[in-house]
Amino acid sequence: MAAIADVSQAGQAAPGPARPGSRRRSFPAWRWLILLAAGAYFLIPLYAAFRFAGFAAFGQIFSQVGFSDALILSVKLAVVTTLITLALMLPTTIYVHLRLPRLRPLLESITILPIVIPPVVLILGVLQVSPAQLKASPYLLGLEYVILAMPFAYRSLDAGLRALDLRTLVDASNSLGARWITTLWRVIMPNLRSGLLSATVLTVALVLGEFTMASLDQYQTFPVWIVAFDQTSGPVSVAASLFALLVTWVFLLAIAAIGGRAGRGGASQVTLFTVTRQDRGDSR
Amino acid sequence: MTQATAPAGAPAPVTEPAARPGRRGLAAVLRGARDLAGLVPFTAYVVLGLLLPMVAIGIGAFQNPDTGGFTLGNIRAATHGIYLHSFAISIELSVVSAIVPGILGLLIAYAIFTARRGAVLRRMVITASGVFANFGGVPLAFLFIATIGTTGIATGWLKDLGFDPYSHGFTLYDLTGVMIVYLYFQIPLMVLVILPALEGLRPAWREAAENMGARTWQYWRYVGGPVLLPAFLGCLMLLFGSAFSAYATAEALTSGTIPLTSIEIGSFLNGNVLAGQENVGKAIGLGMVLIIAVLMVLYVFLQRRAARWLR
Amino acid sequence: MTTNASASQVTEAQPPRTAGQDGAAVELRAVSRSFGAVRALDGLSLEIAPGELVALLGPSGCGKTTALRIVAGFEAADSGSVTVSGRDVLHVPAAKRDMGMVFQSYSLFPNMSALDNVGFGLRMRKQGGAERKRRAGELLDLVGLGGHARHYPHQLSGGQQQRVALARALAIEPQVLLLDEPLSALDAKVRLQLREMIRSVQQRLGTTTLFVTHDQEEALSMADRVGVMRDGRLEQVAVPGELYANPATAFVAEFVGTMNRIPAGLLTPTQVRPIGGAGQDAAARAQADTGDVLVRPEELQIAVRPGGNGIVTDRTFLGAVTRVSVLLSGDVTVKVDQPTTAAAEMTPGTSVEVSLPDTPVLVAERQ
Repeated sequence: MAAIADVSQAGQAAPGPARPGSRRRSFPAWRWLILLAAGAYFLIPLYAAFRFAGFAAFGQIFSQVGFSDALILSVKLAVVTTLITLALMLPTTIYVHLRLPRLRPLLESITILPIVIPPVVLILGVLQVSPAQLKASPYLLGLEYVILAMPFAYRSLDAGLRALDLRTLVDASNSLGARWITTLWRVIMPNLRSGLLSATVLTVALVLGEFTMASLDQYQTFPVWIVAFDQTSGPVSVAASLFALLVTWVFLLAIAAIGGRAGRGGASQVTLFTVTRQDRGDSR
Repeated sequence: MTQATAPAGAPAPVTEPAARPGRRGLAAVLRGARDLAGLVPFTAYVVLGLLLPMVAIGIGAFQNPDTGGFTLGNIRAATHGIYLHSFAISIELSVVSAIVPGILGLLIAYAIFTARRGAVLRRMVITASGVFANFGGVPLAFLFIATIGTTGIATGWLKDLGFDPYSHGFTLYDLTGVMIVYLYFQIPLMVLVILPALEGLRPAWREAAENMGARTWQYWRYVGGPVLLPAFLGCLMLLFGSAFSAYATAEALTSGTIPLTSIEIGSFLNGNVLAGQENVGKAIGLGMVLIIAVLMVLYVFLQRRAARWLR
Repeated sequence: MTTNASASQVTEAQPPRTAGQDGAAVELRAVSRSFGAVRALDGLSLEIAPGELVALLGPSGCGKTTALRIVAGFEAADSGSVTVSGRDVLHVPAAKRDMGMVFQSYSLFPNMSALDNVGFGLRMRKQGGAERKRRAGELLDLVGLGGHARHYPHQLSGGQQQRVALARALAIEPQVLLLDEPLSALDAKVRLQLREMIRSVQQRLGTTTLFVTHDQEEALSMADRVGVMRDGRLEQVAVPGELYANPATAFVAEFVGTMNRIPAGLLTPTQVRPIGGAGQDAAARAQADTGDVLVRPEELQIAVRPGGNGIVTDRTFLGAVTRVSVLLSGDVTVKVDQPTTAAAEMTPGTSVEVSLPDTPVLVAERQ
């Protein structure tokens, strides 16, 4: 690998202002050791899972009892959750950015709450207060998933909006005679593409992988099915897990790719907790 | 009203539509209320979906399930005996699952941060971390079962090499096993969160320290370490919260055999509950929320400190 | 905003001080450095006398910062040598070179007070606490920040931070003081104040100083000698006055101060001074209109004349002097400095006659 060859030219620095590491001659070895060890820890289980399941199991996934029902349920919930989340969070975030910028910290704090409250506790409370008709429907889960998705959706949208000069765009659009809906549809949303995508993918990933609330609410979504099915066939369960993983990965890599193309951020926008720093232009 | 002749140097007062003070105040208040009205859908949803359940838990924690009257019995049960034991175990698990991945994550982040062909490696690791951090729960548990479970592949490799971990007392299905599995999503989480903090360490500091005669360890001891500390501690809070709330992974792995707080709450919903103790789960839940809330407050405080220096 | 020619030579060229008490002689010899395909430094040679302040001036990317960082020890040189007081330092790690460096911005350690920042180098040199504090306090007084000793960097303004950075660099009584565009990040007024402070402190202590900047006014007003760099090479090293009056290359001529560049055909000089590689061809070039005349705004002569060779397009008020922009035939615009009273009648649209002075005029290759 070119990177390993570089290690020998200890004094070589990267073009431009030197970054601290670009001149560190000290101990390149330990760095590779750590990364290799980490790589092993993360990749071996994947390989092991493949070996354990065997190719046959993958084919069998789709024919198992309950698979399609569980998957369809999960997908339905994902769609419902995503729609409600976006319908709720997009206008709200835009509204706060435009009209109530001083409430942004408050909104940030509120959207942190679902993180503070463990899903297991949340479902406990939800089942306590929900009317019976709602409890009889799996869509109760969908409604609660919106709450779980809120932190991620808000942050994705917020980050996307912060990169725009929203006020100016809206004023320009209004001054040219556009109505609100038009502004939203033609001006704001196209510029928010990566934020919307992030929010969507995170929500979908969350719903497809959510086990705790679904199992305790006693609905067999896909993850719940996987665990239940383990009793019948271990390899198929493992294969199904890998399948679920693969799907999530494809989604997340999609954000990274699209988000990265749209500018800075990429995968790091996927995270929830980043220390936001001011623009580093003043360090010039 | 503007003055016809203003004294030299004094700016002319800004013209304003004449309005009586009271009217102006009311208009402002109405406008403010109208602005806030835009937040109604969101607020309503949060109240119904989040606040209401939490209030229910808060109330239920103090409620006698049979009579509906106020009682501290639930709290008492939650803080004694087996439930206290599970709190202890959960906290122990979370502390270890915060510190170990914390340090490992920091090392990994530092390793890619100082790499020369930085851009590509960093991008790869960030993407991978983003993916792995969202891992967890069921698939993860099964992955590890397939790896170092009793019939796991890696277990098989070790056995071929002559070493059978299971006969030496190791098992995936106890607390240690859970800790090992938790590393899988805790480490990437740490990497993602500490990386921006590392990037906040300005190269000028390192060079200035060197210029002053400091060696590497002196730089870290006097400058790098202290500056990074608030961010690092904040991340540990985060990791703790993440491990503490985790349910799915432990459940899928151990089927409830380890006394963990989150799993215990689950068992209340599954009906495995003694008569008269129906509301103890809520008390436990309340306790969980309180613990995490305290940590989050600490986290916010530490982050603000970190942001001040790492700007 | 550039000012009148003589204003740039605020500190008249001074001969380098002889053997200041802290100064050491620094010599760079044929230093080269490449980053991949880019040749950042191409055989740079420079001598700095003890106690002298030499400025490296040039556009961004010219290699001046690279040169400074090589002297400091943060970059390695591909070839060449750097000696301080006769001893080669390239093999000495940065931490042991006994040089004080002031960075462009935000180099103060955020977790330490101003006093602790200044005392850091002394701590590394194992000086005891009380002595350290005393000395650090002295230096803070020297830069006028004695009252801010307990303040943290985020409580100080940009100018104050740079003053602390200066104190910190000087606290260790370095052999060489290195400044990497220390004023670029500050606003204009603060910049001027700091300029004077750096210069006076440097002169008081007699520390040999290498100062990198892209601001020619800064370089010309502060330095004993200025080295103009381009593309990794030194085009000329001289006292500021010399750079201004006798530039060695067209680049130096145009980089330092304001210079008009006029095709020789438009204004043909009677006497020529070659520049760069023009040599004897200069006269021929001038006659055949294959060269450009380089002349300062204050040297051009201008008079209102109907049917003249130019039209006034703009006037810029600079105080005692007004800079008049004149469009000559073709699309060449020149700037001519006139006393404001004389320029009063040269309103935009006025027809004027612009001519070269009788004195020898610089002629360079056509660009």
